[in-house]
Amino acid sequence: MRKSMLQSIILLVVLLLTVSVFTIATGGSASATEKPMDQLQVAVDDILKILQSAELKGPEKKDERHQLVLNIVADMFDFREMARSSLGQSWNTLTPEEKDTFVGLFTTLVEQRYIGKIDSYNNQKVVYKKQLVKGDKAMVYTAIIDKDLEIPIVYRLEKNKGKWLINDLKIENVSLIVNYRRDFDSIIRKEQFAGLVEKISKQLEKPEASN
Amino acid sequence: MKRSFILQAGCIVSLLITTSHVWAGDAADFSAAAETVPLFVQAAGADGSEDDAWEEENWENEWESTDTIADPLEPLNRFFFHFNDKLYYWVLKPVARVYAGFFAEELQISIRNFYDNLRAPARAVNCLLQGRVRDSSEEVVRFALNSTVGIIGLGDFARDVLDLHSSDEDFGQTLAHYGAGGLFYINWPFLGPSNFRDSLGMFGDAFVHPIILLDAGWEVTIGAWTLERVNYTALTLGDYELFTETALDPYAAVKDAYQQYRKGLIENQ
Repeated sequence: MRKSMLQSIILLVVLLLTVSVFTIATGGSASATEKPMDQLQVAVDDILKILQSAELKGPEKKDERHQLVLNIVADMFDFREMARSSLGQSWNTLTPEEKDTFVGLFTTLVEQRYIGKIDSYNNQKVVYKKQLVKGDKAMVYTAIIDKDLEIPIVYRLEKNKGKWLINDLKIENVSLIVNYRRDFDSIIRKEQFAGLVEKISKQLEKPEASN
Repeated sequence: MKRSFILQAGCIVSLLITTSHVWAGDAADFSAAAETVPLFVQAAGADGSEDDAWEEENWENEWESTDTIADPLEPLNRFFFHFNDKLYYWVLKPVARVYAGFFAEELQISIRNFYDNLRAPARAVNCLLQGRVRDSSEEVVRFALNSTVGIIGLGDFARDVLDLHSSDEDFGQTLAHYGAGGLFYINWPFLGPSNFRDSLGMFGDAFVHPIILLDAGWEVTIGAWTLERVNYTALTLGDYELFTETALDPYAAVKDAYQQYRKGLIENQ
C-alpha cells in the first residue's frame, strides 16, 4: 500500500519533470537564452525547405514560393534599422512619414536583390562556422558552397525583445549596408532625398532581373 | 608543345621550391611573422568558440570601413563602365549562354580550376613577399600536385585529398601589405574595376603567369583570357544583372563593392 503510494509520487514527479522539460524545450525556443546561430539556422532551414519542396516547384508557383520565403525573411531582418543605417546622416533630416516610406522602399529593394539569388537555389550547402556574442550584439559566420567554391557570408545581429535580428550581412566581405550607403550617397549628393525616393520607386517598377 | 609546357612548369616548381627553402632558412624574422598569421587564422577558424578576445574587441569597429577611394578619373571610368556593361549584355552574356549549353557545369568548374592553377606561381611568390613562408610552400605543393595528379590543374586534388587550401594572394595585396593605398579608382575597359595599386599588381603578377612565361603569342594570351572570361561568366550568369539592377547608381555600387572586397582580401578576413 505504502509502496504503491511512493511509486505514484515518483511517477508524478517524473511526469511533472518531463512536462516542464518539454515546455522549456518548445516554449523556450523564442526565449532570450537562444543562441543567434541556432535561430539563424532554423530560419535558413525553413527557407531551404520551401525551396526544396516538390509541391512548390515550377515557374507557376513562383509568386507563392516568393511570398512564403519573404514571410520568413521579414522575421529575420530588422529592415527599419537597416534602412536607417543605409541612409547615414540623411535619416535624421527626414519626417516620420518620409522615414516610413523609405523603410518600405528599401525593404522591397533588398528583397528584390536576394529573392533573385534565392530563385537560382540549386541544393547549395550552407555551413555554419562560428558565432561571436557580446551582450545584445552578435556575428554569425557562415558559408555557402556554390559550384565547388566556398562563399563566406557573415551576419551581424542585434537582440531586440528577446529575438535576434539581422541588421547587416557581408558576402565575400562586401557589406550590404555599406554598399547601399555609398550607392545612395552618390544619388543624394546630386538629387537630394527626393531624387533618391524617385529613383528607388522607378527601379522597383522595372520587371525583375532576368535569369 | 605539351611536353615543353610540362618541362617549363617543372622548372618553375623547382625554382620556387628552392627559393622558398632559402627564405625559410635565412629570414628568421620573416618566418616569425609568418607564424603569427596562421595562428590567428586557426584561432578564428574552427569550433564555434565565443571567446576570441581580439575579435570581440574589434569586430564592431572592423565591420565598417570609413575610407572611400579617390576617383579623379570618374568621367572616363563611367564611360568604360558603360562600355563594359554593354559588352556584358551584348557579347559576353549571349556567348556564355551558348557556352553553358554546350559544356556541363562540372567541365566549367574544371576549366576554372585550370586557370586558377595557373595563378599558383603568382600566389606562391606573393605569399613569400608577405613573409608567409608556410602558405607559400603550400601553394608550391598545390601547384606541383594539381598540375600533375590533378591533370594540368583541372582538378583540385591538393584541396580535395590533402585539405591544402589556396591562399588568395596577389601583387596588389603584397603592395598593400607594405602600406600602399589604392591611390585612385580605375575602371579598365574589358578588365573592369581596379585601382592604381592593383593595376600595378596585375602587371607584376603577369610576369610569373605561365602563359606569359611560356612566351606564347599575343593571340594565345588573348584567347586564353577570353575563354577564362566566358567560362567565369557562364558560372556566374545572373549575378551581375541582379547586383546592378538592384543598385541605384550601379557604377558607385560596383566601385564600392570592389573596394570592400579588396579590403577583405588584404586583411585576410
